[in-house]
Amino acid sequence: MAMWGSEMEGVVCGSEDEQRFDEIIGSIQDVLISDEFLNLQQDFMDKYYHVFEDTEENKFIYTDIFQEYNSIFEKYLEMRLTNKLPWFSMEKFAASLTAHKHEICDEIFETLTSFTDFMTFKEMFVDYRAEKDGRNDDLMQGLVVQSLVPTTISVA
Amino acid sequence: MGLLTILKKMKQKEKEVRILMLGLDNAGKTTILKKFIGEDINTISPTLGFNIETVEHRGFKLNIWDVGGQKSLRSYWRNYFESTDGLIWVVDSADKRRLSDCVKELHHLLVEERLAGATLLVFANKQDLPGSLSSEEIKEILDLEGIKTHHWSILPCSAVTGKNLLEGIDWLIDDISSRIFTLD
Repeated sequence: MAMWGSEMEGVVCGSEDEQRFDEIIGSIQDVLISDEFLNLQQDFMDKYYHVFEDTEENKFIYTDIFQEYNSIFEKYLEMRLTNKLPWFSMEKFAASLTAHKHEICDEIFETLTSFTDFMTFKEMFVDYRAEKDGRNDDLMQGLVVQSLVPTTISVA
Repeated sequence: MGLLTILKKMKQKEKEVRILMLGLDNAGKTTILKKFIGEDINTISPTLGFNIETVEHRGFKLNIWDVGGQKSLRSYWRNYFESTDGLIWVVDSADKRRLSDCVKELHHLLVEERLAGATLLVFANKQDLPGSLSSEEIKEILDLEGIKTHHWSILPCSAVTGKNLLEGIDWLIDDISSRIFTLD
């Protein structure tokens, strides 16, 4: 039985629809790790990270930024997919997504759904800001704390 | 329909419930939220934006959105209507002076198209304060019997003592789940 299972997985026997579905998922993965997309995301975060604060309460403006982010991301993804796969239709893909949900690897599903989740979005910004602010602290520390005498010597 | 909307809908099927909590300022929305999740309620200041808490309760994932209620903030409420399964309207039962405001704001919400499918729970809060109106009286004033567009219920509660908070949330979930998740 185990043999059967593993053999079946390797066989490319799906219908045209299924092959197309796999192709779309593959392309989405490519887009998400592409430099162009990462730069787009980076630029967006650079533009707004200073607005975000590590407090429990959220500002109303976060919602506007979230909506802008969603809209940019969705348009960009659709543009890249349509360029790569001329037959791509968001409507058809969305419909088959529900049916194939359990076949998509968790990671890509999580990544995609993270774009719809406000709290994930906020954390991304709060973390980014901490990283930015932290980097400055590190530089300061580097200047002050660096010792000329290795501490191991004083032990001997 | 966009991809993100589809993804959102797929997630919602996994027993996720979105609850929007509104009411006039100082009604006790944030205190109710914090008390419900077991956090300290002694350091709460007026909400100028919004709070979100996600809690697992009875196998459901509750996303509770608590939006500030000051007059200048009420125009922002509309940004949070989308996909709301349950609306909690919080009333300061001791603030008789502003009950007419409270009625007006609630009835504005009830005609909102994007809230059309939401179950309404009214919390007649601050029952621990002397002179607070009963939930029966609040029900009359808010004209709840006249609501035909939404499932509704009202409970007297106290965010400070925690009385009836759980009962209210449970009723809300029961009503929502009987509407939404019965198809599964």
